[in-house]
Amino acid sequence: MTREQRMTEVFVEVADSLIDDFDLIDFLQQLSVRCMELLDVAAVGIVLADVHDTLQTIAASDEHTRLLELFALQNDQGPCVDCYKSGQPRTNIDLSDQRAAAQWPQFAARAAETGFIGANALPLRLRGRVIGALVLFQTDPDPLSAEDLTLAQALADVATIAILQQRTLDHSQVERAQLQYALTSRIVLEQVKGLLAERWKLSVDDAFAAFRSYARSNHYQLARLARQIIDGEIDTEVIPHPSGPAARL
Amino acid sequence: MISDRLVTVLRQLQHDDPVGGVADVTAAAADALALDGVAVSLVTEGVRTELLWCSDETTRSFEDLQFTLGEGPGPDAVHSGALVWVPDLLSTSTDRWPALAQEAEGLAVRAVFCFPMEIGAIRVGVLTAVRRTPGPLTGQQADDALTLASALTARCLGSREAGSDRPVPTDLPRVPLRAVVHQATGMVSVQLALALPQALLRLRAHAYSSGRSITDIAQDVVDRRLRLDHDGTGTPPTVADKD
Repeated sequence: MTREQRMTEVFVEVADSLIDDFDLIDFLQQLSVRCMELLDVAAVGIVLADVHDTLQTIAASDEHTRLLELFALQNDQGPCVDCYKSGQPRTNIDLSDQRAAAQWPQFAARAAETGFIGANALPLRLRGRVIGALVLFQTDPDPLSAEDLTLAQALADVATIAILQQRTLDHSQVERAQLQYALTSRIVLEQVKGLLAERWKLSVDDAFAAFRSYARSNHYQLARLARQIIDGEIDTEVIPHPSGPAARL
Repeated sequence: MISDRLVTVLRQLQHDDPVGGVADVTAAAADALALDGVAVSLVTEGVRTELLWCSDETTRSFEDLQFTLGEGPGPDAVHSGALVWVPDLLSTSTDRWPALAQEAEGLAVRAVFCFPMEIGAIRVGVLTAVRRTPGPLTGQQADDALTLASALTARCLGSREAGSDRPVPTDLPRVPLRAVVHQATGMVSVQLALALPQALLRLRAHAYSSGRSITDIAQDVVDRRLRLDHDGTGTPPTVADKD
């Protein structure tokens, strides 16, 4: 398949997903995966600014805690913060460069440990306001082309649209409410990860993988299912997981 | 960006009142937000709430009414965890809160804005701001109120802990909690059979007493290098737990 065909597929998929009751976090996670595939980068994440103007990871192409923490580290420093504050893309940043190390010592060191040597950050813009960023990490030194970056910005715009499409319970279309709800949902997911990991004696990453595949195959919204589990409304033994009875047979 | 007036309110919130609790900032908050009233209610059990502070009688009677009826923007905000803003109570569909709608005409309050005080699935309470005239919030008012709700969440979490025999620090670090802290909260809740708020308090108390950051403590819990005990101390996990 050519890239144009794959791109078309992605946009059709997006249009299909933005239905009435879609799952924002799962949508953004899948968008991150598509973005990673289309642009042939190593990892993609989406961060949103909270009320303290701190960037929080809302979704990533890979849910591994190590990667999530790397995105989170950008709270204090990194290309994301620069992009968010300036509202301008920060592209083709060489993380192995001395300037990057001097500018963001903690972040550059952690990125290098993870094997990332290149980074790009594109703003999530909303009527002149910046609400977050789309971040691309690379493990190869090839810079992204202008065409790649245009596509990445288009995907960042799709993420913004999705955040604003999401319905909160009171059906308000208030932007701040949407943002706030997305940020809270993300925290609920982290809480349920820990709860399931302990209940099932798994790592948080493995527990989340089992939780997500159960939610997806049953068309449950991730954050909603997570709340039900935390409130004790769901017997978590019905969820297939690697240390469960079915797995032991 | 938050307004200078709100910065003053947030500073007041950092001081304990003479009784050793958290200082009531609702009157100052109403002024800073340029609204007519502010109330703070705390979740006591499940989604049930109790009024903690109130800036004035009008707001108090509205808060009492909606929690007595069990319906309204406040209960919805607590239950859903989402912001519930009603710029004009009189133009709200009567199906939404039928009992409240019957009372709406006689109320002094026209606009109500509720901000859940929460950390993910941890429901701490709700901040309610009211105005006697209809109309939306400005962006500045919304930013200020969101920031205030977030500061109140940190201050009020655990302030109603019953039977707590040791002082619990009532302030969370100013920096937002990392993902690993939320994960550890979930793990501790299962280990000690606690609800999430109490689990987070245990983590915080342990961080406080051991002089380490809550992020470090949480990382040790998630990596199963540390298991908190019921008495608040921590031990390395037993061999059986390492499987």
